[in-house]
Amino acid sequence: MIWQFDLLILALGVLCALASISLKDLLSAAIVFGAYSFLMCLLWTEMGAVDVAFTEAAVGAGVSTVFFLAAVYHTTRTVKPRRRGRMLHKLVGLATAAGIGLLLLSATVDFPTWADPNSPASVYLSPYYITETIPMTAVPNIVTSVLADFRGFDTMFETSVIFVAGLAVLAILGSYGRRQRDYEPSPTGKDVAHQSPIVQAACRVFVPFMQLFALYVVAHGHHSPGGGFQGGVILGASFILVAISYDLRVMQRRLRERLAMLFAGLGVLIYSGIGAICLLLGGNFLDYSVLHTILPATSPIMARSHGMLGVEVGVAFTVMAIMVIIYVNVASHGKSDRGL
Amino acid sequence: MDNFFIVGGVVLLVLMLLTLYRAIIGPTAIDRLMAVNVIGTKTTVLLIIIGMLFNWVDMFVDIALAYALLNFIVTIATSRYFQHHKNLSPIGFGIRHRKEGARK
Repeated sequence: MIWQFDLLILALGVLCALASISLKDLLSAAIVFGAYSFLMCLLWTEMGAVDVAFTEAAVGAGVSTVFFLAAVYHTTRTVKPRRRGRMLHKLVGLATAAGIGLLLLSATVDFPTWADPNSPASVYLSPYYITETIPMTAVPNIVTSVLADFRGFDTMFETSVIFVAGLAVLAILGSYGRRQRDYEPSPTGKDVAHQSPIVQAACRVFVPFMQLFALYVVAHGHHSPGGGFQGGVILGASFILVAISYDLRVMQRRLRERLAMLFAGLGVLIYSGIGAICLLLGGNFLDYSVLHTILPATSPIMARSHGMLGVEVGVAFTVMAIMVIIYVNVASHGKSDRGL
Repeated sequence: MDNFFIVGGVVLLVLMLLTLYRAIIGPTAIDRLMAVNVIGTKTTVLLIIIGMLFNWVDMFVDIALAYALLNFIVTIATSRYFQHHKNLSPIGFGIRHRKEGARK
């Protein structure tokens, strides 16, 4: 923790947040919101929460702004000038917001200070994870072992939540399973004929390295920040990059929507399937140590490490596929033929 | 050596503040896009600097790499947006509104 950085990053972050809610141009607001996520990533890095920072880097810098842009693409950019609200309404709103804000601020007084060794969280739970992770799971990155092993149940449902989010997008926008609808002319009347060959050539060289890096992030999550979520987002972003630089249809030739949906389900199945195999072998649900009876040449401790790798792969499958599905449906308004 | 990196980081953050001025005021969306791009580049460098300060560079290089890889997707997406909607006209800081596609 370096207070000079803290102060400046927080000040910049507040400025960005205020700007992005007060801008009336949605496109600019989305772009400024991207800057806000850069700053939050810096702040978390600077506090030592490397895994959280990595997630923010992957989600904030990679896909969320693109999702916003894709959504703005199908609506108008500007807010209609509204009639002026009643003064009383504004005052009541302001007073409520200020009151709740003050209430929350007063609650923070009772919080333990930053990095307080006597705070409840650092007294009885953290020391257990810190001392027991290496002897029990042989995974150097404590965050990964807490995420995928000690609290594996939570992470399984997080993966399911992402899966459900993709299903919701499909249910609202998608034409999945229905017959392909007719093409509509693009809003400006021009077809997307001229794409920049420079961007295309750059992306063609670039995408394989990006996917390689994503696989490294998934596989190396035991030793460095990263894991299934981050790797999956980067993998999904590489497909989104193809879709942006070429065409939605070029990307869909590589990864059809039906296949992506299959991958999304497969990821959840891998995760819960590993848990179910543990049950069948006589352990608890998601208790990976019993896996050593079927995995060759492992001890119960190493089996936990391998089990974590297995569920991370499952998470990566789901996250990658759902990112692609959300992008395709939002960008093309559910027609999945062309967009952004 | 730590002082060198702290001062370097603070200078970068102050430069970021100047760039943020363009991102917030910047009359057109392109100005904002460029400003945010510059902020992203500075973020990549700052991540490495923080890594140097924590003596744990190998951890932070991964994040910085992810940043460098993903930073320009937004730029390309926005360029594609402007390929379809040609309206680059300035829309003021919550003051003026102009209809989509309207001529100047």
